[in-house]
Amino acid sequence: MSLPHGLPLDPALPEPLARREFLRLLAGAGLATLSLGAPKLLGSDDKPVVHPPAKADACILIWLAGGMAAPETFDPKRYAPYEKGLEYKRVLSTFPAINTSVDGVRICQGLESIAQVMDRATLIRSAVQPDLGSILHSRHQFHWHTGYVPPQTVAAPHIGAWMARVLGPRNPVMPAFINIGQRLEGVGESEELKAFTTGGFFGGEYGPMNLPFPEDAAAAVRPPKGMDAGRFVNRDKEFRRLVDATPHRDLLSDYQQESMLRSMDNAYRLLSAKERAAFDLTLEPKEVQQAYDTSRFGRGCLLARRLVENGARFVEVTTEYVPFFQWDTHGKGHDMVSKMHKEIDRPIARLIRDLEARGLLDRTLVVIASEFSRDAMIEGRPGSKAGDQSFHKGTTIENPDHYGLHRHFTGGTSVVMFGGGVGKGKVYGATADERPLVAIKDPVSVEDMHATIFTAMGISPKTAFDIEGRPFYATVDGKGKSANIFG
Amino acid sequence: MRSPLVLAFFLAVAPLGAAVDFDHEIVPLLRKQCGECHTGDKRKGGFSMNTRVSLLEGSENGAVVVPSDVAKSKLLELVASADLDVRMPPKGPGLSPAEVAKLKAWIAEGAVWTSGFAFKQPAYEPPLKPRAPVLPTAQDGREHPLDRVLDAWVKAKQLPRPAVADDATFLRRVHLDLVGVLPTAAENAAFLAERAPDKRAKLVRALLSRDADYADHWMVFWNDLLRNDYAGTGYIDGGRKQITGWLYAALSENKPYDVFVRELIAPTPVSEGFAKGIIWRGSVSAGARPELQFSQSISQTFLGINMKCASCHDSFVDRWKLRDAYGLAAITSNQPLELVRCDIPTGKTAVAAWPFPELGQVDPTKPRTERLQQLAALMTHPENGRLQRTIVNRLWHRLMGRGVVHPVDSMQTEPWNQDLLDVLANRLVESKYDLKAVLEFIATSQAYQSRTETLTRTTDDKGYVYRGPRAKRLTAEQFVDALWRLTGTAPLKVDAAVARTPAGQASMAWQAQPLWSNDKAKGALPPVGETRVFRLRFQVPAGLAKAGCVVSCDNSYELFVNGKTASKGDDWQAPQAFDLTSYLRAGENEFLLVGRNGGNAPNAAAIWLQAFLRDANGKDITIATSRAWEWTAAVPNAKGVLPANATWRPVAVLANPVWATGEPKMAELLAQLSGKGVPSARASLVKSDLLQRSLGRPNREQIVSMRPNELSTLEAIDLANGQAFTDLLGRGAANLLRRPWKSPDDFTQWLYISALCRSPSAAELKVAQEILGPRLNEQGVADLLWAVCMLPEFQTIR
Repeated sequence: MSLPHGLPLDPALPEPLARREFLRLLAGAGLATLSLGAPKLLGSDDKPVVHPPAKADACILIWLAGGMAAPETFDPKRYAPYEKGLEYKRVLSTFPAINTSVDGVRICQGLESIAQVMDRATLIRSAVQPDLGSILHSRHQFHWHTGYVPPQTVAAPHIGAWMARVLGPRNPVMPAFINIGQRLEGVGESEELKAFTTGGFFGGEYGPMNLPFPEDAAAAVRPPKGMDAGRFVNRDKEFRRLVDATPHRDLLSDYQQESMLRSMDNAYRLLSAKERAAFDLTLEPKEVQQAYDTSRFGRGCLLARRLVENGARFVEVTTEYVPFFQWDTHGKGHDMVSKMHKEIDRPIARLIRDLEARGLLDRTLVVIASEFSRDAMIEGRPGSKAGDQSFHKGTTIENPDHYGLHRHFTGGTSVVMFGGGVGKGKVYGATADERPLVAIKDPVSVEDMHATIFTAMGISPKTAFDIEGRPFYATVDGKGKSANIFG
Repeated sequence: MRSPLVLAFFLAVAPLGAAVDFDHEIVPLLRKQCGECHTGDKRKGGFSMNTRVSLLEGSENGAVVVPSDVAKSKLLELVASADLDVRMPPKGPGLSPAEVAKLKAWIAEGAVWTSGFAFKQPAYEPPLKPRAPVLPTAQDGREHPLDRVLDAWVKAKQLPRPAVADDATFLRRVHLDLVGVLPTAAENAAFLAERAPDKRAKLVRALLSRDADYADHWMVFWNDLLRNDYAGTGYIDGGRKQITGWLYAALSENKPYDVFVRELIAPTPVSEGFAKGIIWRGSVSAGARPELQFSQSISQTFLGINMKCASCHDSFVDRWKLRDAYGLAAITSNQPLELVRCDIPTGKTAVAAWPFPELGQVDPTKPRTERLQQLAALMTHPENGRLQRTIVNRLWHRLMGRGVVHPVDSMQTEPWNQDLLDVLANRLVESKYDLKAVLEFIATSQAYQSRTETLTRTTDDKGYVYRGPRAKRLTAEQFVDALWRLTGTAPLKVDAAVARTPAGQASMAWQAQPLWSNDKAKGALPPVGETRVFRLRFQVPAGLAKAGCVVSCDNSYELFVNGKTASKGDDWQAPQAFDLTSYLRAGENEFLLVGRNGGNAPNAAAIWLQAFLRDANGKDITIATSRAWEWTAAVPNAKGVLPANATWRPVAVLANPVWATGEPKMAELLAQLSGKGVPSARASLVKSDLLQRSLGRPNREQIVSMRPNELSTLEAIDLANGQAFTDLLGRGAANLLRRPWKSPDDFTQWLYISALCRSPSAAELKVAQEILGPRLNEQGVADLLWAVCMLPEFQTIR
């Protein structure tokens, strides 16, 4: 099938079994699995893991890093407009609510485009996080992305690595796990970010392909700068000839050497495959580029769409975590969030509509999430001992810089899911209407959130791998329970 | 918890007369109902009934069966409970009343157990103390103790004895294994030409005596194993401390391993980073607090014990219990430590203890420092064979590609050859814990010097069989070092704060004099913003091998070399060092330095520059700021071109005690650049970067004892088109082109010898000719370098 604005989907997407076989070969099974073992179901050594039927083939995680305040986005509460001397205790939301395409479901002003696609979404308003002591973004982000609270005694794999490991690539030439928009060098807490942006104990084969700048993504699958395509192709050809010319051919039958050559082949396949065009945003029509181009994040959404169209399994696209920027509002919260609304509103809505127009939304799970919410008064959750991290400590708002939700709140936040078999135009769970704005119905823990996403993708939350002689589960102790949001 | 119904049931059961038959009545019953989770290696809830001893040890919650005491035997309560959340077994219909009655009768009679019976033979328990194996007779004159053990084993199994590797293979392998770098072409030629029958042993000893190379290389192994790095999680806010300086010194001086271990367990401020662990910000689970990290880390690194499971609950997979993990933790804890099981406090306080009381015990009443010293002494107790076996097994794995116990952290499992492990361990003890002596012992064996085993996908499916050493993948550091050395592209500086050169040796004589224009009245200072241009014309002889330059200016400058901007700076205390080679040409050359004074009021200003020009024989010519320079007040355009009518005048040589303080630093930079007296940078001593990560250098938040042997696809992509790698190859090619090659074949010959320790075949030469073209050029050299680096033959140690 040929698509209007994208590339043709590969008609020969391999079947699940073939996929696993491919991955097994890729991983160099004979040696690699000696230390890892195959997935096995909790409590049973010999039965193969029984996965739920997959509702989605691909997943896009839209990561609004830094603590997206639910009352400023998807869970509006009583609106208190700015006025000098306004008491913080009166502030629940700094944006008024607007109607959406779903009767009775309101979200915050500033998200008008997303409001129009909420009839395709299930809005979870009762996501909760544990209190990890002093609230630190990178630790909560580690928890959200791996399902495990840091530190762990073994390197915990990212949720994308789980999909890469268990499901494999959807299209053999496309990296299964692609991470868009987050720089891992030169930003604050970058070492902490690297700790979870990883394949963990699954190994590098399942780790992310990192594309911090969507506009430069094409370069990641192109010959390096200063090398034209002809030279690149020729270099590879000559390399193969050099391998063939090696005098001791018997040495090359060695399994380790074969597996190295196979990885070189796989790499070259991507770098020469037609799918690499998916990485090049300039191939989109101008109108489409402009529609997405609110920011690096907006361009990232367009890239995510192109990658999923071409067979990526898991794509994360983020507004990027940089301490005290983006959603990390310790001051000037209202203004910062207004800017973030503009960054995310059009691209997310357009992404949903584009996926739908291409017939991909039903089989693509799109998740909008953040490590926790925010509140104008409460740090952590009621009763937390976490230190107050708001820049302004007063009880009243004395200038516009003070207006916003400047404290990290873990008692209730929103996660929006589209496609992938989730209910359409539904709300799941609820938070209180007065402070504390904690989840009061159907709380969804991080483990349960993982179980929900895994269930949509056809991965049992009880999937476990042996590492160092003990089981490591897709959700802690295999106990994550999927929220009932499907259908 | 006990329901009235159950009580009534118990009361109703009549006392039993006949003795219960353990073998025929109880064993099948226990096997059927309890066996899945509580026999063999399985100990759910910390409870095993595999043997009578384990049965009576009970679970994490206390006694399960008390012989002859039905009331205290919780087992009966559990199997008869009506509460399905409590009842055992949790699955299935459970025990019938008759079965419960039978169990009860058996316990009432004293829980008689057939002597020696076990449901499964108990899990393997390795010997703790050293063993002295009897060495088999040497075969065919192969006297080395390791060969005597292995030759006998191979013969008994009727397997072929691994063939001897050729000299070139051995040469490359032993260089990479012991010092981490490739032999140079000259070293290669010398070794192949040598006729002495003991030349391999001599080479092993020579390599091990290269202290700096040895320390540089083994930093990789130890940083992984002690989770030490120069950047990483935790360092951001002091929650983690490097042991870099201590570790490097320990390796350089080959500190005896027992002392090494003691200094890590009962540390001083320079070595405490390992024991301290990583203090994570915010609250962490009980099993991750620093005291438990201490317990886990020393268990894993020194004993090959996985204490991670037992930090949370009694291990399900081996014999370590929660109290073992906490016992070690309590040794280092400043306060009484409460046992916490799966994040639920138990109310019990941990007692400081280590897991091998056979050798003695820590006195929990002593203060912390003393307890740590006791632990250090117990750990390095001469009878603690576990410590010895763990480290020699790790070294065997590094050199031979597979552990005698494998994976190397599972020292609780059976070695494939106990005698082999013990011969190695005994060598460590005989040599007074000299790790180099153990490496020498291994590397001088015929076993090590054999050809590597050819692996297939199914090689290990039926368990490990020794067929010689296994090929290893180059570590990221070995790969990068190889490339840096082949192409002269090592960075100037390392990140690790280590003392690699004895004090004073690193300096190159600093001859540059501070200069400024000579147009000032006596005592007058240059005004703010004054710009002066300085010039020197000089001759460069043909055949330049390398040139480097260090330059600075109080306050800012731009340096043009032959009309090209070569360096800029705006902080006189941050002098710039750069490779000058590519800017120079044979014949006349020109330095043009535009200096500008800064500050808020007139103040002293000066420039400094010193360069060395090295010929093919390694002889240096020095060029430095001196009276030979000239200056002009004319101002150049952006391209450094001066108006034609600029007038040049002699410079003034200045002096200022403040500037004198900056000169040692410039001298050091120059020395680093020149490579004289300073070992060139090694990848093990710089922070990890994209290329090293692509080649498998790990994050070191967790202890890493074995890196993956496979190249992943994502890594291969980075190697195919990563910009940093490509740029490195480009710079390397430019450097190589400056060497006097006779022909493209001459270059290929050198590259194959240097990278692979062998000459290219005719077929390879032909392909190389196509890549290089008729005349050597940067593109061709870079591409051939890339292709050779990508060869599996290059990326493995065979």
